[in-house]
Amino acid sequence: MASSAVRAQVAAKWQESFARLNRTEPGIAGLMGFSEAWSLATTFLKPYDLNNPTPKPQYDMRQVGMAFDTINKCRRLPVMMEVFLEDLRKSQHLIAREVEVHMNLYESDSDPETVRRLIFRLVEWYNAWKPTAELGQTIISAYTLAFQTHLFSILPASFARGVKTLVAATLERTISQPSDQHDRALWQAFDALSLIERYETLIASVGYEYIEAHVLEECIGKWAEPMLASLRSWMIDKIVPWMLWPFARGASNADEAKTMMQGVGSRFDFHMHKTLCDLRTREIFDIIVDFPDSIGALQDLKECLQRVDQRAELVQSIRRSNKKRLLHPGADTKDILLSYVSTIKCLRIVDPPGVLLFKVADPIRRYLRDRPDTIRCIVASLVGDGESGDSLIDDNEPIQPLQQPEMENYADPDWTPEPIDAGPDFRANKTSDIISTIVSIYDSKDLFIKELQVLLAQRLLAIKDGNLDRERRNIEILKIRFGEPALQVCEVMLRDMTDSRRIDQHVQSQKASIVHPTIISRHFWPALETSGIVMPGQFKALQEQYAQDFSVFKPDKVLRWLPHLGRVHLELELEDRTVEADVPPLEAAFIELFSEKNTWTVDELISRVGSVSRSAALKALATWVDRRVLKEDSENLFRLLSVAEEPTPGAKNPAPKPAVGEDELPPVMSVQQQQAEQMKVYWKFIEGMLTNLGSLGLDRIQAMLKFAPGYDRTIEQLGGFMEAAKREGLVTVKDGMWKLGK
Amino acid sequence: MKVHIKHWNAVAQWRWNTGNNDQDDEGDVCGICRVPYEGCCPSCKMPGDDCPLIWGECSHIFHMHCLLKWLGTTASKQQCPMDRRPWVTAERKVADIPNNLS
Repeated sequence: MASSAVRAQVAAKWQESFARLNRTEPGIAGLMGFSEAWSLATTFLKPYDLNNPTPKPQYDMRQVGMAFDTINKCRRLPVMMEVFLEDLRKSQHLIAREVEVHMNLYESDSDPETVRRLIFRLVEWYNAWKPTAELGQTIISAYTLAFQTHLFSILPASFARGVKTLVAATLERTISQPSDQHDRALWQAFDALSLIERYETLIASVGYEYIEAHVLEECIGKWAEPMLASLRSWMIDKIVPWMLWPFARGASNADEAKTMMQGVGSRFDFHMHKTLCDLRTREIFDIIVDFPDSIGALQDLKECLQRVDQRAELVQSIRRSNKKRLLHPGADTKDILLSYVSTIKCLRIVDPPGVLLFKVADPIRRYLRDRPDTIRCIVASLVGDGESGDSLIDDNEPIQPLQQPEMENYADPDWTPEPIDAGPDFRANKTSDIISTIVSIYDSKDLFIKELQVLLAQRLLAIKDGNLDRERRNIEILKIRFGEPALQVCEVMLRDMTDSRRIDQHVQSQKASIVHPTIISRHFWPALETSGIVMPGQFKALQEQYAQDFSVFKPDKVLRWLPHLGRVHLELELEDRTVEADVPPLEAAFIELFSEKNTWTVDELISRVGSVSRSAALKALATWVDRRVLKEDSENLFRLLSVAEEPTPGAKNPAPKPAVGEDELPPVMSVQQQQAEQMKVYWKFIEGMLTNLGSLGLDRIQAMLKFAPGYDRTIEQLGGFMEAAKREGLVTVKDGMWKLGK
Repeated sequence: MKVHIKHWNAVAQWRWNTGNNDQDDEGDVCGICRVPYEGCCPSCKMPGDDCPLIWGECSHIFHMHCLLKWLGTTASKQQCPMDRRPWVTAERKVADIPNNLS
């Protein structure tokens, strides 16, 4: 049972509520008025079905206004709003049905126009249910929130796809007809439903994808011209007008639009750069190969890299493609060098400080160092070996001395620190030229000098007309690069050539001879392959005669012949014909012997000319057999054909020998052979230490060999040598310890 | 058959005539600078006539430049550095040269 106090409280409450609703009206007139106003207002606000054929009842807006006023006065507006939102919730199935119908249609036909219709329809619903503006912003935003929350909750996943295609369609249209205002309504509808905020990333992605496709279409494989400028103006002309719709809506003037676009604009710009950068990074290997026809692409890349931080990716890309396409046994050393030079030139454009180059070059240099013929290739191109088309050296590049890496001059007011991504062992070599860079693949230039001597020796001994101008010019150029002292030996070689001619002229003037020797200075020429052949018959007489004449002219000196070198021009007078031939000395010696008697066995011939290998002898004889001067009657028995014979068919016909190269290079020992030769000396040391100390590790052997005079091998070279020794059974290795073999 | 030689581009090395006829020798060195006779003394760059040898009557042979430098020092007392006998340069005539090409 309620106490009187409770009763009094309820009564007070009641009175208060009544007074609020009834206001100051007499009786319950106020209450009645409120009741009317309430029912009018709620019916007015109640969401109705747009699909309902009966038209929406017309209201007297003045009455409605008064009704809202009354409710407001009674402070019942919040309650009315709740009722309204409840009504809204109840009517939401109408929208859900609408969405479902449209989306089902879209899913079956995938036509963006369906989505467009749906959006317009949704806006219609939204506007139809929207409370009048007089109710104030609070109610409208509460309504909008409720409407959108519900709407977004029922939109299927395919709607996002639909929006994307629709937006893409608007982009296409804006680009093809920039002044077309067709889509204005659509963007307003998007805005009304807050779809732009919701799908902002989606809309942006449409832009990104479009830019990407455009960049790829325009730029793939087009490296001659820089593309960035035209891409930028394309962005301004085509993409920006479209971007104004979603990203600068509501801007009243150009400045405002500019401010609103700033963020998104720079994102789009970035994306354009990134796409181009990615593309060029993927193409970089071919761009380098195409250099200098790809300068445009390189300039683009440089600019992009400043905008987009992709340097690491670029390095990765080059390293990867080099590894896959360049640094393998199938590639010619010359090609690798050429590509390396191109890489240097390209990356100098992209990254002048050289950090990228340093990172990219390292694997190439390491690989080249391991190739046996790298030095030979470099030297050949240094002296401009004519036969190969492209030379590593750019003729326009001034010839300058090789540069040694310099210490940094910190007192220089223009000194700048190393770039931020430079590795710890980065060396800035801003000024060094291509040749210096290539030569610096190797730690010392001595190797080059040695190889150069070998090459020069081969070329000098192959000269027939005595024209030394080219070699002299080459040496002069190389002197500038390598310095005079390094090329002293080459200088002596050249002087030997000219001296030989002078001496020869003098000797000839005293007593004509058909021998014209090249007299070389020992110790200044690379080791020439030795051979013990002795020239027979008239050759020997000629040699002795010339040597005597020489000693008369130079009383202090004597000549030692190197009979296996040089060439002889002969005329063979046979019974029915004469044969002229230009042959190496061994061939000449053999044919001379045939003038003594007509048939010889190979062994007899060999014993007459001293020590010569059987294969060399057979090769020399084959030269004459090919010229139909000799015939191999039976195995190893050769007969002079005094009268020409047709090769008898069916007779044992030796397989056609490969034509003997007329201008075979003289047998100068290559640097490798010389090294192997020297290594034999060190083998004695190694043998000694292994005998005394049992088994030794490689680094221990290396350390001890360092005490030997003139030992300059790296531990890798020593390792290679020990492996070779193992193959010959001289040593065995176990757990890295080397031991003498049994 | 007759073989007529029209032209012979031969190759030869020159040696100083030191009386050493061994074909396979590695070559003797100057007793002063330890560089082979056919090389050049430390102050020269071109071998051969630009850096000749000098023959002593005591049978010792040096690079001429090396020996003259030695004789220029007071410590030399004009003696051969090898045997300390007074240095006398040998007279060499063309006729003296033995024909060492057998």
